[in-house]
Amino acid sequence: MTNTSTTLTSRQPHHYADFLRRHSMLLILMAFYVLVALTGRGFMTLDNQLNILRTIAVPGMIAFGMTLLIIVGEIDLSVGSMVAVSACITAWMVKFLSSGAFEPSVIVVVLGMCSAIGFAIVVGQFNGILRHRIGVPTFISSLAMMATLAGVANLITNGVPIESFPSWYYVIGSGRLFHIPVPVYLLAAAFATTFVISKYTALGREIYAVGGNIEAARLSGINVWRTKTICLIITSVFAAIGGIVYSSLINSGNSTIARGLELEVISACIIGGVSLFGGKGSIWGTFVGVLFLGVLLNAMTLWGFNPYAQQVVKGMLILGAVFVNFAIDRR
Amino acid sequence: MTGIDLHFEGLTKHYGPVRALDNFTHSFAGGQVHALIGKNGSGKSTFVRMLSGATAPTSGKIAVGAQDVEFRTPQEAMEAGVVTVYQELSLVPGLSVAENIFLGRLPRRAGGCLIDWTLLNRRAGELLSEMGAFDIDPHQAVETLSVGRQQVVEIVKASSLSPKVLLLDEPTSALAASEVEQLFALIRRLKARGVTIIYISHRLAELPEIADTVTALRDGTFAGSLPMEKAGTTEILDMMFGDMPPLEHAVRKVHDEVLLEAKGLSMAPWLTDVSFKLKKGEVLGIAGMLGAGRTELLHGIFGARKFDAGQLVMAGQDITDKSLAERKALGLAYASEDRKHAGLVLDHSIHANLVTAPLRSIARRGLTWVGLERPHVARQIGNLHIKVSDPMLPASSLSGGNQQKVVVGNWLNTSPRIFLLDEPGRGVDVQAKHQIYQIIWEQASRGLSSIVVSTELEDLAECCDRVIVLHDGSVTAEFVGSEIDAKRLYAATMA
Repeated sequence: MTNTSTTLTSRQPHHYADFLRRHSMLLILMAFYVLVALTGRGFMTLDNQLNILRTIAVPGMIAFGMTLLIIVGEIDLSVGSMVAVSACITAWMVKFLSSGAFEPSVIVVVLGMCSAIGFAIVVGQFNGILRHRIGVPTFISSLAMMATLAGVANLITNGVPIESFPSWYYVIGSGRLFHIPVPVYLLAAAFATTFVISKYTALGREIYAVGGNIEAARLSGINVWRTKTICLIITSVFAAIGGIVYSSLINSGNSTIARGLELEVISACIIGGVSLFGGKGSIWGTFVGVLFLGVLLNAMTLWGFNPYAQQVVKGMLILGAVFVNFAIDRR
Repeated sequence: MTGIDLHFEGLTKHYGPVRALDNFTHSFAGGQVHALIGKNGSGKSTFVRMLSGATAPTSGKIAVGAQDVEFRTPQEAMEAGVVTVYQELSLVPGLSVAENIFLGRLPRRAGGCLIDWTLLNRRAGELLSEMGAFDIDPHQAVETLSVGRQQVVEIVKASSLSPKVLLLDEPTSALAASEVEQLFALIRRLKARGVTIIYISHRLAELPEIADTVTALRDGTFAGSLPMEKAGTTEILDMMFGDMPPLEHAVRKVHDEVLLEAKGLSMAPWLTDVSFKLKKGEVLGIAGMLGAGRTELLHGIFGARKFDAGQLVMAGQDITDKSLAERKALGLAYASEDRKHAGLVLDHSIHANLVTAPLRSIARRGLTWVGLERPHVARQIGNLHIKVSDPMLPASSLSGGNQQKVVVGNWLNTSPRIFLLDEPGRGVDVQAKHQIYQIIWEQASRGLSSIVVSTELEDLAECCDRVIVLHDGSVTAEFVGSEIDAKRLYAATMA
């Protein structure tokens, strides 16, 4: 379970052992997949496979943003709350703009989504400013933001889900295109975007450089704070999009959704080999981590695990991944 | 009171094939202050490490008084009365002055369960006033004191161990003039008590004030010893350098065009009113001791730090208020003295490290990929003779010299007009060092101006068209062309 480092960071000479080391998480995933395929009743059906993808779509999308953020040397613990607040803002705006009409127009819905995304940009920018001007570590500021945003979500809904969406709105979360759930397309788009950013843009290289050695990056003329702020905004926006997907899934703006989602997102990154010390990791690695989590949860359900036991397994898995992550970094 | 003599006979230390100190035989008379001098790498630190018990000699004998000693640990040296105050302070910043002085031997009460704070502070206060440091409160946290005061605390701590021999490793290198005075008063008190003091320093000018004898090391061997009253600057430099063949210093024609002009640059507390001009294609050296403000000057020019006052003009344009990124775009480049922490991302590939600075200029519409960058990487690997089997290996896999070349190559890829090089020869083997200077020289003949900062004054003598000397934040001397020679530079920087 190691950093599936790309040529962006560094490549070791091609040896058999090295190949195993770099792709160990993928190999573990494949082995686990085969095991579940042989033992889990109904695992290999197309519907179940698509279901796995649909479940991981939102946490996966956010995890791709989080990957960039952790590589640049920061973190965002408020993504779960951001999902909730974004769902509530969208629903509230739709209700407000349509004055509670039965079937709000498309424009109104789009405006609602835009305001949620706009809000996410502001929050990301705000965290960036806090980090830069005042020096608040994002670990702290996003922890504060986690509580704040959860409160904002509750204030918006006043504890009662807002049901304001038009009848077609379910499509975003539960619809299918060519038999594939719509969120899976969003996941693919998020993957493609972050993959290209990390591998093929100057910004991406700067993200690695800043996370790898901030002083060297600064003295290379890289605007390190802008780079960090962009990553904060990307993560925040992905969380807001996730909130829109969830609001469509449950067809309302509910302030209690996505509690603790940040844990799932960050563990996917860690399992995928993103170094918590920054500078190392890849979008592909995180994708493997996300898939692994998805397959594991699905398998435990198919095997009929006690839901509470599932939580324990998940927690232990994260601990194991962190352990390996640290061991690799100290090597 | 006459103190205890120190004798050394054939003291030798080898690190692998390197003879750090070779056959050192000398005696230091008791109760005196003995200055020990030498260039970087002359064996001073090795000597200190052996006498303080930090490392064992390969062969030879050390005698404290009439007794032969063999220190296996610093603890043993301390028990024999040999106490060392190192260059880097070893105080705990968050603890009080009293706690630091008695660290590891705090007075206890109630059967050893509790710390006797009253006794601790009283005894610390007594020690401080005995040593003339009345103005230091034993309750004060060490981190609130200036570096000079911390140095005083450090020496009071050492003196509380009742030393017979005190080793001071460059105690003044980080101090201001007024603080040096207080330190000297302290040393004189200890001397009056009969402590034998070995005083290592780079500042030749202060030696007559404090030392009774001066002993020099050169290339790991004993180079001579003189009573202080007979040691003038010439004698001292002769001991340090021996007979040096005059350097063959090629004098080149530099352009007349001034590319960079610094007017009255100040940055408290490092720089005051520094002015100089840099011509096109010129290699300008800045000589100065540690703490003379060299790095701060380069940082200021590059835009990584702000000057309090002064003006910087580059090719007729005032760049004083320009940001680092803007200066980089105008053609300034900076290779840090600390390549591990500020120059390279060691975990990332050599390839990535060679295109970090020019990233945006190589990228097309913000997009970049390995193939697009490869020609730039290959060019620098070729031109700078970087020994590398695969550019995708991490930078940490390279030797120090090759890492330094990567730092230089990274910036040469930005096609700079002015290259600021901070200690380009630090931690680099001799051959690679020469290659790096060769590169600077070649680039200069193509019109690149460079400012090179180095403590290795021989290096400056080798590669510079002109050298200015920075001392306590001001320019105190200038040498041009054939005037540049290492001995003169040393005399000027150590004044």
